[in-house]
This record gives sequence, C-alpha cells and structure tokens, in this order.
Amino acid sequence: MSAKISSVSNKLRVLLIDENKTRAQGIISALCDSRYVVEHLESITASLLKVVDALQPDIIVMDIESPNRDILESLHTISRYSPKPVVMFSAEQDTEVINLSVKSGVSAYVVGDADPNRVKPILDAAVARFGEYQKIKSELVETKNQLNSRELIDKAKRALIRKKSMTEEQAFHSMRKMSMDSGQKMEDVAKTVLSILSNLDAGANNI
Amino acid sequence: MILEKTNLNLGFIPLTDSAPLIVALEMGFFADWGLNVTLSKQNSWATLRDKLHAGLLDAAQMLAPMPFASALGLGVEPKKVIAPLVLSLNGNAITLSESLHHEILKANKLSHITLPMAAYLLKEVISQRKLQGAPKLTFANVFPYSCHYYQLRDWLKSGEIADSDVDIVVVPPVNMVNFLEIGEIDGFCVGGPWNAKAVRAGIGITTLTSFDIWQDSPEKVLGLLASFYQQFPNTVLAMCAALKQACTWLETIPNRFEAARILSKSQYLDAPLDVIAPSLLGSCLTHKNSEPRIIPSYNQFSASHNGSLNQPELVRGEWLIRQMHQAGQLDKDKIPTNLISEVFRPDIYREMKEVLKKHGVSRATSEPWHFDGARMHRAET
Repeated sequence: MSAKISSVSNKLRVLLIDENKTRAQGIISALCDSRYVVEHLESITASLLKVVDALQPDIIVMDIESPNRDILESLHTISRYSPKPVVMFSAEQDTEVINLSVKSGVSAYVVGDADPNRVKPILDAAVARFGEYQKIKSELVETKNQLNSRELIDKAKRALIRKKSMTEEQAFHSMRKMSMDSGQKMEDVAKTVLSILSNLDAGANNI
Repeated sequence: MILEKTNLNLGFIPLTDSAPLIVALEMGFFADWGLNVTLSKQNSWATLRDKLHAGLLDAAQMLAPMPFASALGLGVEPKKVIAPLVLSLNGNAITLSESLHHEILKANKLSHITLPMAAYLLKEVISQRKLQGAPKLTFANVFPYSCHYYQLRDWLKSGEIADSDVDIVVVPPVNMVNFLEIGEIDGFCVGGPWNAKAVRAGIGITTLTSFDIWQDSPEKVLGLLASFYQQFPNTVLAMCAALKQACTWLETIPNRFEAARILSKSQYLDAPLDVIAPSLLGSCLTHKNSEPRIIPSYNQFSASHNGSLNQPELVRGEWLIRQMHQAGQLDKDKIPTNLISEVFRPDIYREMKEVLKKHGVSRATSEPWHFDGARMHRAET
C-alpha cells in the first residue's frame, strides 16, 4: 500500500485515524480527485509510531477526543521523526478557542466538525500554515549556523595571527586558499586549522 | 469567603487516582463549599492540557510534570499553569507480558521471579535477543512528560540497561492491556486499574510498583491557569479545600472500599470493582498463580510517612525538573529562575489550610485516620 502511494508524485499523503467509519468515508470521498491520498486507519493494532514511520504521511488527521492523541504527542519528543502537521477535528462547538491556543508553533491545528465540504480547504490551510512555520524555523536554524561558522572562522583567524605571526589579511587569505585548493568550506578549514594548532601546542608541551 | 465563580468544569482521566476529584463530587465536599462542579472525562493527556490552556476546563487532574512542561512550552505553546495541590503519590506499576515473563525465567534459568523484580534479569533476555537478531523489547508508558516514563527509565537504568537496548513508546492506557496481550508491547508502566486488569485477565505479571522505584513522589496534581487563580482566588481556595477534604476522607480502608465502588461507575472508570479495589486497599495483584503483594502506600492521597503530601513542596518540583533533565527533555541549567516556585504553589496550599481551619471542618474529615496498611489509627494530634 505504501509503496503504491509513494510512487504517486506531487501527491500529499494523509494518514486518517478515525474509528468512525462513516465519517472517515465522508472525508475520503471529499478528497478523491484532489492532491491528497488518504490512508485510513480505523483502529490502532500496530504501534502508531511504526505506521507513521512506514507511511511517512505529509499530514495526519484525527479526532481530538481520540486516546491516540498522546501517541502523536510523543512524536514531538523523538528527534528522528520530522514534525508533521496534525489536523484535529472536534465535534464540540468551542474548538475555535482551542485553536487559538495551539495553532501557533506546534503542528496541531484544530478545526470544527469534519464537514466533508470543508475538509479540502482545511487541509490546504493546514499544509500552507505548517510549511510557513517550518520555513521560519529552518531560516532561524540557518541564521544560527551562519553565525556559528563566522565565529569559528574568526577564531581560527585570531589563532593564526597570534601563533603564526600573520596579519589579519594573511590569515584570511591563507584560509581562503586552503578552502579553494581543497574544495572545503571555510568553516571546515577553520576547524582543521584550530585542531592542528592545538595539536601542535600539545605536542610542544610534551617535548 | 465570597466565591467569585461557583460553576466549575474539571477535567479528569479515568484512573484509580482520580479518586479525590470523584469523591469530592460524590461525597458532597464541593457542594459544601458552594461549588457546582462538573467532572469532564478526558481521553488523552494532550487534549486535557489543550482544553485547560484554552480555558475550556477550569482545572484538571494532571500528571505532576505536566504543569512544568506547559510553563516551559514543551510540545505546546507556553502557558502559565500552576499546581496548588498534590492529589496523590505513587499508584503506578510495571507489568510484563506472560511471554516476556517466560523468556526471563528461561534466560536466567529461574523457576520464579522474586518480586519486586530486579531489572538486571532483563539483561540476559536483551543479549539473547541481540544474538538471535530478534526485535528489541518494547515498553510503553502514558505520556512524554509523566512519572511513568521516568520511573520506567530509572528501573531499567538500575539494571544497567541502556536507553538504546529497548524501545520506549507511548500508548494510551485504554489500549495497554490489549497491546500486551497481542504482543505489540512487552511491558508497560501505567496507573490503576490497568495493572490489575492485566493480571486478572491472566496476561501479565506486575513485577513492581512505582513505590518500589521512588518512595512517595507526587504523581497527580491539580493544575489550573495562573490567570484563573488571579481572577478567581477564593474559588480556587474553596476547590482546593474540598479536594483536600476528599483526600483526607480517602485515608480509611472502609472509605476506600466505598471509593472503589463509586469509581467503578460507568461515568467514571467503568471498570469492575475487583480491578479497582485492590490497589486502593494496599494490595498489588501480581500474577494469576501468585499471591498479591502488600503495598500499603500503593495509592496515597493524604498523610504519608513524610508528613502531609498534598502540599506542592518546592523540593518535589526540583526533583521533577531533575527527572525531566535526565530524560533529555530540558536543560536544567537553562530553565528560568523562579520556574519551580511559579508552578508549584505551596503558598496557595497554606492559605487554603488557613481557610479550612477558620471554617471549622465538619464531619469525620477533621480527624484524619492514618492508613498504615495492616492497621489504622487516629492521628495523634
């Protein structure tokens, strides 16, 4: 089943967890001829995490009152699972309130009852919002990494100036040359320089 | 005392240690304080938490680490949740499947397992499975931020079993027994009545209780939003007073049996008396062919060996933070200062005690009985 699904390109895999067969059928028909391919799980016989692992869904849909919610909650704490948008339906009228408290940040997104006519736009919105959130998050990580690598390069530069009596310009140029010659990133060259210099120090101390 | 709000909606998960909330309602303690309480049964901790954060629940029975996870924004948008009352200590147990039971006996060449079981007995099973290329042992707990998880880790660690030697997963309590039976999991750490249920069904062996792992640690607390307390301080005091009375009422064996009867009703645990009553009476069912163990502190709701248990003491909070840190869920050195005293609120508890004193507590609850397993005695005060 999962092999067939993964061969379909540009399709988004939906894992629908719902004990209510009629409601599930409504959701599945509402999504036929769309970019969503639904895998319906009526009951949890295998460990849900294993199913998620095997299926790699792009989005998970479930009832907010399902006891299985806590299994999904544990996904957050397992780093090897990449976060997935979770859309939760609730029959209760006051879900708008819950929605406000969970919509930002985490992947959970609560909407009203599973009205088949609203299912597709709801999934579209959830996927878009989640993508946006992931983008902001990865930009943040990227910025952090850039900052880290700049710090590393500066550190290596200072070490060369101090220990090899280079000027700042010489230090920078020699690292850039190493980088170009070896095809390594400046950041990796800086790491190598720092490690060699500290090994030299250790070696000198041992003599 | 004028209550700012009298209608309350409280969330609970159907477990043996939800007794204080159910007793406070059924025995009229909430009503005595002028509170009109609705108890809303919840199916998952995550949804209970989200409803509390959203104000759909005014307060709820929570796993002791949960208010800290809320405050720190672990797995959720951060929200200031406070815990003015500890509702129970202990109450969890570890049950292994019948097939793992036999695997342990065979691997260690034993005729029976001495209880409480030492975790190192699993080592031989784990290494034999490795040799055979068999799957890792899988243990279940109920929530990422739960004492169940930390107790399971602690127990495995005591047998020098590494995190990577086993798989630890989350399974909703309602599915635990079934999963154990069909072999989806090899063991679980869960609260009552689920351990007793597995033993009664003849599909597992309860190898030890959480009291064998950690003596007298907070298990469930009353959680509510800090903003709710700011808005309705007297209501919170009255709610805590009624719950404290319920906890005290739960001290005696006769009352505990009555509590078991109430809990078994369909709107609460919807489970037979013979799986709810044992732990409340200090009995840990172990195995279909063995006698129960006497664990007087299996479920503790009020007095403990270390004095009052209902006060959310800061040292208890520190202990929980340490567990969360050891499980890699947070960096202990990076938590905000005052976090513990902002979440655990012994000050509210003490204020509630004053209110209780001033209002002169009626009924037998003013003179607590001490439940000491084999015997009971009045508090010597």
